[in-house]
Amino acid sequence: MTHLEIENLASDYLEGLLEPSSRASVDAHLKGCAECRELMGDVRHVMEMCQAAEDVEPKPWLVPKILRATIGERKPTWGERLAAYIRPVLQPRVAYPIAMTVFTFSILVNAAGLNLRSLRFEDLNPRTWVDRANRQGHLMYAHAEKFYYDLRVVYEIESRFRLLRGQPNGQEEATPKATPPGGGSSEGAPSDQTMASNGGAWTEAVSDNEPAFPTLGNQTGFTRARRSPIP
Amino acid sequence: MEQDLDLLRRCLAGENSAWEGLLRVYTRKIYNLCYRFTGRAEEAEDLTQEVFIKIFQTLRSFDVTQGSFSTWLHRVARNHLVDHYRRTKKDRMTGSIEEDVETYEATPSPGASPHGQVEARERKEQLQRALDRLSPDLREAVVLRDLHDLDYLEIAQVLGVPQGTVKSRINRGRLELARVLKRMEGLRGPAEAGSEP
Repeated sequence: MTHLEIENLASDYLEGLLEPSSRASVDAHLKGCAECRELMGDVRHVMEMCQAAEDVEPKPWLVPKILRATIGERKPTWGERLAAYIRPVLQPRVAYPIAMTVFTFSILVNAAGLNLRSLRFEDLNPRTWVDRANRQGHLMYAHAEKFYYDLRVVYEIESRFRLLRGQPNGQEEATPKATPPGGGSSEGAPSDQTMASNGGAWTEAVSDNEPAFPTLGNQTGFTRARRSPIP
Repeated sequence: MEQDLDLLRRCLAGENSAWEGLLRVYTRKIYNLCYRFTGRAEEAEDLTQEVFIKIFQTLRSFDVTQGSFSTWLHRVARNHLVDHYRRTKKDRMTGSIEEDVETYEATPSPGASPHGQVEARERKEQLQRALDRLSPDLREAVVLRDLHDLDYLEIAQVLGVPQGTVKSRINRGRLELARVLKRMEGLRGPAEAGSEP
């Protein structure tokens, strides 16, 4: 095979369109001819380069431009008109203040205890709003306080503090003593704390003359028993 | 294919949205074809618009029995590009050499930028410059085959020549393109070597 024949068959060879016999002839020639090998490599490079080339992106206004040139201006649909009205409102600089206003309004309505579904005449009085907001605030505070004092961590820390306050100096490191059987309490320790053996729950025995913890409503979580001897 | 025919039928029935649909499907392809032929974005935009105006005016002359809509569209676009090439031949001959040299010298070498994107863009520009140096016959054959992925039969229908001629043009086009690219890289090599300390 000559160089010229190889040149003519280059594309067919690379695209796999040659008959097996022709292909074998080309292969045999390529083995012994560096020039044709280089040529084949160059053509392959061109094909790969073309296939790897990405499309050029037309400008976004090209289609509308052609549409105007062919069918003229198109009348916008109802949906498009509506979208044109809404679009400015959806801009972040407008949408954000609107969202914040709605959010603030909902918080105020909630705090004032207003039920917008069943609005009464007295609900329109600002004095009522203030009273209700005040009541809501106190209720929220009370709930938060109760939640706080019901936490086990808070409870334990308080118990430790009380124990430490009741012990003489130098004995802070001492571990709290368990309540002796029979309900007796050691002298100088106004309250005892122990892990009840029966349920694993913390119980606290508070002496009658000791001021009670600040509590709100029913106690939840841990059992606070007034001087209840642990069996 | 079926979708094209459906759009076409609706378009012929006067449905504007169908024409818009056809435009959205084919504008990119025709724009790319025009860009590969001209190498200039603005010129490619104008040519794309002209092609579609022509298509819009001659839509009724499309014959389903003579091939797909895509092939017909490519044929119309190709004929328009050939006309354009003939019309502007004189303008190009007066300034082609200077333009080529200026364009080539203004382009930084691929090694100058570390970013892959820049390299890819430069490769694309290099390919476009090499395509610009091919004769129109060879260029259109290579573009339709290697960049638009049309098969030999479709290219033969678009160009209106036998498949054997198509094969021969594609092969010669690739060989020529390889030589041009090699020459360009050869020119680039010494320039890079000279810029090094």
